[in-house]
Amino acid sequence: MRLRREDLYHRLEPLLGQVEKPSRYLDHEWGAIEEQDGPFHVALMYPDVYEVGLPNMGLSILYSILNKVDGMSCERGYLPWVDMADLMRAHDVPLLALESSSPIASFDVVGFTLAHEMACTNIVEALDLSRIPVRAADRAEDDAIVIAGGPSVWNCEPVAPMFDAVLLGDGEEALVQMCACVSDGRTAGKPRAQILLDLSRIQGVYVPSLYDVVVDDSSTRWGYAVPRPGTGAPEVVLKRCLQDFAGTDPLPHRIVPYMDVVQDRLAVEILRGCCRGCRFCQAGMTYRPVRERPAEQVIEAAKEGLRITGHDEVSLTSLSTTDHSQCAAILHQLNADVRDQGVRVSIPSQRLDSFGVDMAAEVGGSKKGGLTFAPEAGSQRLRDVINKNVSEKDIDVAAENAFRNGWRRMKLYFMIGLPTETDDDIVAINKVADHLLEIGRTVVGKGPKSGVSVSISVAVFVPKSHTPFQWCGQLRLEEVRRRQQLLLHTCPDHAIKISYHDAEVSLVEAVLSKMGRAGFDLIYTAWRHGCRFDAWTDEFSFERWQEAAAELGLDLEDIASTDIPLDRRLPWEHTSPGVSKGFLKREWHRAAQGVTTDDCTMTSCVGCGVCPKLGVDLAIVGDRHAGHQ
Amino acid sequence: MPDTSNQVRLRVRYKKDGRLAYLGHLEVLGTINRSIRRSCVPFAVGNGFARRIRLQFSQALPVGASSAGEYYDLMLTQRLEPAEALRMLAGATPTGLAPNAAAYVSRKLPALEAWLNRAAWEVRMPRFVAPHDLDATFSQLRDAGELRYMRGERQKRIDLTSALVGWDVSTEGEDLLLRLDTRSSNNGSLRPQILIDAALAKILPADGDAGPARVPLRVCRTGQWHEEENGNLVKPMPSQEE
Repeated sequence: MRLRREDLYHRLEPLLGQVEKPSRYLDHEWGAIEEQDGPFHVALMYPDVYEVGLPNMGLSILYSILNKVDGMSCERGYLPWVDMADLMRAHDVPLLALESSSPIASFDVVGFTLAHEMACTNIVEALDLSRIPVRAADRAEDDAIVIAGGPSVWNCEPVAPMFDAVLLGDGEEALVQMCACVSDGRTAGKPRAQILLDLSRIQGVYVPSLYDVVVDDSSTRWGYAVPRPGTGAPEVVLKRCLQDFAGTDPLPHRIVPYMDVVQDRLAVEILRGCCRGCRFCQAGMTYRPVRERPAEQVIEAAKEGLRITGHDEVSLTSLSTTDHSQCAAILHQLNADVRDQGVRVSIPSQRLDSFGVDMAAEVGGSKKGGLTFAPEAGSQRLRDVINKNVSEKDIDVAAENAFRNGWRRMKLYFMIGLPTETDDDIVAINKVADHLLEIGRTVVGKGPKSGVSVSISVAVFVPKSHTPFQWCGQLRLEEVRRRQQLLLHTCPDHAIKISYHDAEVSLVEAVLSKMGRAGFDLIYTAWRHGCRFDAWTDEFSFERWQEAAAELGLDLEDIASTDIPLDRRLPWEHTSPGVSKGFLKREWHRAAQGVTTDDCTMTSCVGCGVCPKLGVDLAIVGDRHAGHQ
Repeated sequence: MPDTSNQVRLRVRYKKDGRLAYLGHLEVLGTINRSIRRSCVPFAVGNGFARRIRLQFSQALPVGASSAGEYYDLMLTQRLEPAEALRMLAGATPTGLAPNAAAYVSRKLPALEAWLNRAAWEVRMPRFVAPHDLDATFSQLRDAGELRYMRGERQKRIDLTSALVGWDVSTEGEDLLLRLDTRSSNNGSLRPQILIDAALAKILPADGDAGPARVPLRVCRTGQWHEEENGNLVKPMPSQEE
C-alpha cells in the first residue's frame, strides 16, 4: 500500500540518541536540495549505509539531473545500519527519504543502485523496511514503481523479481525518460501493467515481468529469458550509451557530508569506459566505448567544485584515469592552481608502468604513502591469458621509478583461481613480490631502516557475465585454500606481507553472478535467515547462506564451480552492453592460447562490436600512448 | 618558512542546534573547516606536512548536545573587518552551526580548548525523580569527591570537588530543568550525562543486570568562560562584540 507523503522526522529523532553515528540520518548537508515540491517524487536509494552510498557518482549525477526537471523532485535514501533498522522496526517507523523525511513507500518512483552482487540482501531489507512489497508481482496498482540501474545490472536476473524495470547503461537521459513515462502514465490514469509496457519501449529498459524464463537443452540449468508473446518487449535489451559525455555536467558531486564517508573528497569523472580489455573485468566490457572530458573542462570543474564544496581534496575518477590522453597536463595544471590552498589532487589507481608512477609523483607531491599496483597474475603467461598487457619489464621499471621517487611501501593486487592457473603461477606471485623487494633494497638500501616493504593482497577470481571468462567455473573452496597455503608457504621473505580476501564471500558472489531468476529465492531465503550487509566482513555469515541454500536444495559450490559449454544460451543474454558474443568467444579462445588483444584507444579497432551496435564512437580528446613516456 | 607575523587571530562564536546537535566533535570540525574554505575568507594554512587551515576549537561537545556559544580561533592572512568576515562565514556555513559573532583577539592567548575552562549547562529531562532528591544526591556525589565511570571499555575518574562548581534543580512544565556550572582542567572535564547517570543510579532501583536505563536528556551548553586564578570569569569575546 502506498504510504502517505508526510514528514516523519519527529518519529526518527527520538531514536538518534540510541544509535551509532546519528549523522547518517540527519540530512541538511551543504549542497543537498531541500526544495522537494514535486509534484512527481523520485527516491534514489543506495542499498548500504550513508557513508558508503553518499560518494556514489552515479547517484549524484541522477539526483542532480532529476532535480532540474520541471515538476520532478528527487531525494536520497540509504539503508540504516543494523542498530537503527532494528529500532525502526521496534518503533514502527518506516524507512524514510533524507530530504523530506517522508516514507520511501510514498514516492512515485523508487530507484536502487545495483552496486555489486553482495548488496542484494540489502535491497530486500530496504524494501521490507520501506513497507513496499518485496516482489514486483505483489505490488498494488498505486505502489511505487521500483527500478534499478548501475554497474551490476549485467546479470540482474537473481534480483529481477524485485524490480518493475531495470535500466541498462548510462542513466543521464534514460532515467528522465523513465520518470516522465511513469508520470505521464499516472496522470493519464493508466493501469500499472500498461505503464510497465510503456517503460519497455524505452531503449535500455528491461521489464522483467514481460519475460518468461525457459529452461531447455540449449540453456544452463538457470534457463534464459524470452519476451512474453504479445508484449512487444525486445528479445535483447541493448544498453543506453551517452555519446556526448563531455556535454554532461562535470560537477554533479555537490553534497558535502558531515560525517567521514568512504571517499571523503570532491570527485570529477574525467572519462568513462576502459578498453584495455582485461578478460576478467566486467566494467571494462560493459562501459565501452571510452569517452573523455577535455582537460580545460576537468580543470575548471575541479576548481569550481572545490570552491562550492570546501573540500581539501579532489579526485579525478574513472576506470583508468592515467589513460586519459591529457592526464599529465590536467594533473600538472590543477596541482599548480590549487596547491597553495592546501588542496590535494588524487587519482584512484596507478597504471603499472613508468608513466603511472610519474603521474603518482605528480599528485603525491611530497607525501609518499604506499603505492598500489595491480599485476593481477604472477607469471607473464597468465597475465597474457587475462590480457593484462603488462610486461615484467613494465613492472620492474615502474617499481624502480617508484623507489627512486621516494616511495617505500608497495602494495600489489593479485587474483587466484584465474582460468588455466597452475601452481607455478601461484609461486610466481611470490617471485614478483620478492623481485620488487630486491629492486627496493638495491635502490634504497638494505636493513629495516630502509622501510622497504611489499604487501600482496590476493582476491579470488569471480567469473562475471559479459566477459570472455563468463563460461568459467570458479575454483572450489578447498582448492582455493590449498593455493592460498601454497602462496603462504612459498613466500621467501618476512618483509612480504600476504593478505587474502574471504573465499566464502567470493563464492557467494560467484553464485549470484551465475544464477538466473531462480537466484531470487536464494537471496530472499538468505535474508529471512538474517543476511544483510553481506559486504561487511563482520556481518557476513557463510553459515546463513548455506542454511538458505540447504533449505532450497541448492549446493553453492556446485553452482559456482560449474563450467558452461560455449554453445549454451546464458541467463543474461537478453540484456546486452553491446559487446558481441562472437567477440567474447574469440577472446576466450585467444586467452586459452595466451594471445593478447590490444586496446583500441591506442591502436585500432579490435571488433568488440559496441560502436556499430550502439551507433557510438570513441571520444578521445588527445593522443593516447600505451608505453613509456 | 613563510613569514606568519602578519597573521591575525579571529575569534568566532557559533551555535550548535537543531538536527546538527547530533554531530560528533570531529564532524563539527570537518564541517567548519569546509565552511571556511567555501567562505573565501583569507585563511592561513599551516606549514606542516598536511597543510591544514590554522584553526583551533573550544572543548568538544557530546554527541546530541546543543550549544548557544561555541568558539573557534581562525588565523587570517589579511585583516578583514570582523563584520565582513562574519558575513562571509555565515553565508557558507550550515544553519545549525551558524556563526553569530566575530572579533580579533591577541595571538598570545593560550589555545581555546585549554583557556575556556568554565562552562554553564542547561539540561532538561522527564520529571520522574523529585527535584529535592536529585539536589541532595548531587551534594552527596560532590562531597564524595572522586566519581568513577566507564567510557566504552575504559574506566575514567573525575574529581567533582573541582569539576562541579554549582547546580540548580527546578521544574518547568513536565520537565526537570537542571543548571550546572562545571570547571575543566588537565585532569578532565565533567559531562552532564555522567553526573546525571551517577545520580540516577543512586536514586532509582537497578533494572536487573542491565543497571538503570539511560534517561533521555536534552543538553545545552549555555556559556563558556575563562576562569582566572582569582576566580574572575573572563568572557571569550572582547566586550564590544557581545
